[in-house]
Amino acid sequence: MIARLVLNGRAREVEVRPNQTLLEMLRDTLGVFDVKEGCDEGVCGVCTVLLDGRPASSCLVLAAALRGRAVTTLRGIERDGGLHPLQEAFVRHGAVQCGFCTPGMLLTVLALLEREPRPDRPAIRAALEGNLCRCTGYAKIVDAVEAYVRAEGGRDG
Amino acid sequence: MADAVSTREALRVVGHPVARHDARDKVVAATAYAADWALPGMLHAAVLRSPYPSARIVKLETARAAAMPGVAVVLTAKDVPRNTVSTDVPGQTTAVGPLRATLHVLAEERVRHQGEPVALVAADTLELAQAAVDAIDVEYETTPGVFTPEAALAPGAPPVHPTGNLLAQWRVARGDVTRALAGAAVVVEGEYTTQLVDAAYLEPESGVAWIDSDGVITIRLSTQVIEHFRDVAEVLQVPQNRVRVIGTYLGGGFGGKEDVTVEAYLGLLALKTGRPVKMVWTRQESLLARAKRHPYRLRYRTGAAATGEIVAQQIELLADAGAYAYLSALVLLYSTVTAAGPYRVAAVAVDARVAYTNNPPTSAMRGFGAMQTVFAYESQLDRVARRLGMDPVEIRRVNALRRGDTLPVGQVIETHVALPELAERAWAALGPPAPSRAPHVKVGRGLACNFQPYGRIVWLHDWASAWVGFEMDGSLVVRCGCPDVGGGQAASLCQIAAEVLGVGLERISVHVSDSALTPLAGTTTASRQLYMSGNAVLKTARELRAQLLTVAASLLRAGVDDLDLEQERVVARDGRTLPLPDLLRECARAGVPRSHLGVYHAPAGEPVDLAKGSGKVFPDYTFGAHAAEVEVDTETGVVRVLGYAAAHDVGRAINPQSVEGQIQGGAVQGLGYGLMEEVVVENGINLTTSFSTYLIPTAADVPDVAAIVVESGEGLGPFNARGIGEPPIGPPAAAIANAIEDATGARLTRLPITAERVARALGLLTEGA
Amino acid sequence: MHPFDYVAAETLEEALGLLREHGDEAKVLAGGQSLVPMLNYRLARPGVVVDINRLPLGDISVDDGRLRLGALVRHHQLEESDVLARRCPVLGEAAGLIGNVRVRTLGTVGGSLAHADPAAELPAVMTALDARIAVASASGRRTIAAREFFTGPLSTALAPDEIVTGVETPALPAYGWAVEEMSRRAGDFAVAAVVALVSVDRRGRVDDARVAFGGVADRPFHARAAEDALRGREPTTESIARAARAAREALDPPSDAFVSGAYRRLVAGVLCRRALARAVARALGRA
Repeated sequence: MIARLVLNGRAREVEVRPNQTLLEMLRDTLGVFDVKEGCDEGVCGVCTVLLDGRPASSCLVLAAALRGRAVTTLRGIERDGGLHPLQEAFVRHGAVQCGFCTPGMLLTVLALLEREPRPDRPAIRAALEGNLCRCTGYAKIVDAVEAYVRAEGGRDG
Repeated sequence: MADAVSTREALRVVGHPVARHDARDKVVAATAYAADWALPGMLHAAVLRSPYPSARIVKLETARAAAMPGVAVVLTAKDVPRNTVSTDVPGQTTAVGPLRATLHVLAEERVRHQGEPVALVAADTLELAQAAVDAIDVEYETTPGVFTPEAALAPGAPPVHPTGNLLAQWRVARGDVTRALAGAAVVVEGEYTTQLVDAAYLEPESGVAWIDSDGVITIRLSTQVIEHFRDVAEVLQVPQNRVRVIGTYLGGGFGGKEDVTVEAYLGLLALKTGRPVKMVWTRQESLLARAKRHPYRLRYRTGAAATGEIVAQQIELLADAGAYAYLSALVLLYSTVTAAGPYRVAAVAVDARVAYTNNPPTSAMRGFGAMQTVFAYESQLDRVARRLGMDPVEIRRVNALRRGDTLPVGQVIETHVALPELAERAWAALGPPAPSRAPHVKVGRGLACNFQPYGRIVWLHDWASAWVGFEMDGSLVVRCGCPDVGGGQAASLCQIAAEVLGVGLERISVHVSDSALTPLAGTTTASRQLYMSGNAVLKTARELRAQLLTVAASLLRAGVDDLDLEQERVVARDGRTLPLPDLLRECARAGVPRSHLGVYHAPAGEPVDLAKGSGKVFPDYTFGAHAAEVEVDTETGVVRVLGYAAAHDVGRAINPQSVEGQIQGGAVQGLGYGLMEEVVVENGINLTTSFSTYLIPTAADVPDVAAIVVESGEGLGPFNARGIGEPPIGPPAAAIANAIEDATGARLTRLPITAERVARALGLLTEGA
Repeated sequence: MHPFDYVAAETLEEALGLLREHGDEAKVLAGGQSLVPMLNYRLARPGVVVDINRLPLGDISVDDGRLRLGALVRHHQLEESDVLARRCPVLGEAAGLIGNVRVRTLGTVGGSLAHADPAAELPAVMTALDARIAVASASGRRTIAAREFFTGPLSTALAPDEIVTGVETPALPAYGWAVEEMSRRAGDFAVAAVVALVSVDRRGRVDDARVAFGGVADRPFHARAAEDALRGREPTTESIARAARAAREALDPPSDAFVSGAYRRLVAGVLCRRALARAVARALGRA
């Protein structure tokens, strides 16, 4: 059957099996490897995509059920062909170790900031509760988000 | 130590928190992990695993599965050219026998743990492969199993292996413990229990194999050890030079990707089918089948003088190896060496045993036997301090090892021991005490110290090699067979090369972890890679620098010692400069190599008799001290960590930001170990094979860890660095337990310290309240 | 995942027809946050998956003190809805505790109720509110009291060919509310959860109390004893503690591999007292 979606701003129609998840379609059919596979039950967060701007586990979405929704993966957040400043902040603040959680973390943070532009550290931690990281102990991820928020705030104000 | 500071100022790249090249790749998802890889015509593999922990295979028929359309091959033990993988530890014996650990690639007549691989399938799609696994006709007859080490060692216990259930035993005997205990002012007895724990990296075991155009079986996978290419060759019975392992950047390892995972299966399937094959374990498979961290029972009798000096430690350790040996005997060795802690103790007796059971196998995991002991020895020390009314920092200062002291196994400590400073700084970093926010909430603090070896056991004669070379345009290439598990191993090598050769980090390409194309550098385990590969790159870069500067000296008519390499130029003391490309052209003209291959050998030694205390076991140790502030809800037992500080003497921080990351990440894994993680196994059946049942900490469960990086300038690594990969995971469980006693008076001796266990210790479940 | 057919129903009638046709072979796909994990882990093997996401069941409406939630209202809508924040804030507080942010993006009210996990938040909230669950099949529609809807772990009074279409409940805007939950890890299913709703009269006495638990039985537990102990009384520390004790004494939670029944019971009692205290404080603030 045909899955219809807008992937990172481009309308796509993809031939899928009825039992294929969005995650499988992205990785196995389209070769979109910026979405990772970690647990297949929506707990770990490495397969996070934005679905119409909200974080979703792509392992828990049937591709056939997409109905033209907007799917954003990490590749969809670059600004002007360069790094998004949040990506810069992750690099600068040492928020990346093995990097397997990083795409999901970045997307989750961006979705948070859409709704809550000035989160404090506890709010950042609460928002990341569904994105596991086994390497960093989270502190530098929170540092990076905080620094980004501060810099963006400066720019806005 | 003053030296370290002055040297540091002279360093250009090393010692600075520079951004890692791999982080730039990872934030845009440009890093191709093992599963992010596909080849045309690729097959997909799946494994049939035993549902039983102890059974005989009475029927195993694959014809129906093999005949399914789209199925390329179905393999069982009889199809494997050599069905045994061995881990040899040369020159080593224990009280039980030689440490030759063997493992079947696929089960033969018996299965010894739930999840043991029985058959392999490769098919056109993963769905077909799974359907074929379901179609294999297999029958088991269950047999009696043993599920605790105590049961395994009881007379008449069903043997897991024909050799008996005692896998290894180590002993230490220093001084007269009985007499020392009799003369002690205080004797504290404790029994501690630690749990089975999973590495729980986010990237499951995965890889792709193919046969390249030269006929070499090539396996690209997530591994900490590319040297397993030799094990794969043995299994396939092909020459070792016909197997190549390409290690990818890992999505985490923590010891769980130290043993063979998918590579033997992938090699077999590629060889049998001639087609590329991909294998990715599901999270369930990973949690079910991967070797885990050993559960221990630790019994301690600790004697102390009225001054707080520890005078005796009588220690009994019993660990669960699960169904196969893997690295259990070595893990137990680490426990034995570290059992008395980083302290001076005149009389020490250790009796350490590890037994086979029908539980999931256990092997390497961050800490490698030197962390279970921390929970016991730091709990004991804390109890002694309480009995004597001593301050936690003071009792550690009184007992801390000093340079020149001898460990109970006979090893002399040759480098600075910063323990008192670390303890003071970690403790002070907690700041003013947090107020209790309600009458039922008690706040308390705990301290715990540890020491962890870095580098391999000296009688393994460890070495690492690296190749460093300039291209004609002045850009630099570093090749090193070092797998990057996510700790920034490759980036640190770049920093070292940049420091010595005066090139910018952006001008370096680093190639790591390829058994065919990068010089072998050994395993990314044992906190050894910065130490070993770092030294290899340092030595190689220095030799290359000398080679190049000799040519520059003749061009500039200057002494080699008057020249430096800086910003891709040769700079003479008198201010004259020579662009690097000019020098490289001159090298080319003169036939002087622009590259160099170097080897670093770690200090080596011969096997020691631990019991006789005869000498050196590890190259050196990293010391640390962690302090925790917790609040305990005395109505529910819920523990919340309010503040946490972790101090380690890393000798020299090559990249302070990466070092902090190791400390914070290790401490949080340690907090998971202390507070929530447990592989729950009932009669050999694993009840925690998903991330919703095997719980690791989320961002909302842990506080910010304040990382305190102390640089004593003493360590065996490059620029006097010490290993820091494993050490930070050691102290958290004990620091938390000590803080809980401080808050409530209750002593928790069993990990993980769940809210329910705290509630029980507080008496909440026996009273009517 | 085992193979299955996928059909996206365009109308409720079509969905109900498919369910009638396929019976036990069919599974309804709403938010997918419970169904798809079971499909991925091969714990569910439906012949056909009926996607109901196109049906117009996503509205929240309040009139005359009655609140209606369509079955496809997502958890994040409960968290973010202004009208709910004013008229039935307990829903937002409970929804914020459900799973992680991704579950709340897609997970639905109807899905959570139909899945009937005994530790889930919304079944306990609906039990406390005394909501009625609207269900439909090809043969007709009916409503079932939430307090009778849940019949055991992952089982409900739904017939195989019925689906949840929505919930109707008194909004109880004058009530103080609190949801207290304890889990083994942030975001996990509750070891115990309590939903408390309390209203007070002009003299400051408890006019009405509603208490329900999650995680302490094979289905949500309606704590009548606690309600009775509080109704008509002055809400003092002592009376609240007495009510919580009454609630706890009525519980006999099951043990599992991770948490004992005795501990669940202990936690339930403590959380009940805290939830009641918080709900009372809010009720006094609203009165």
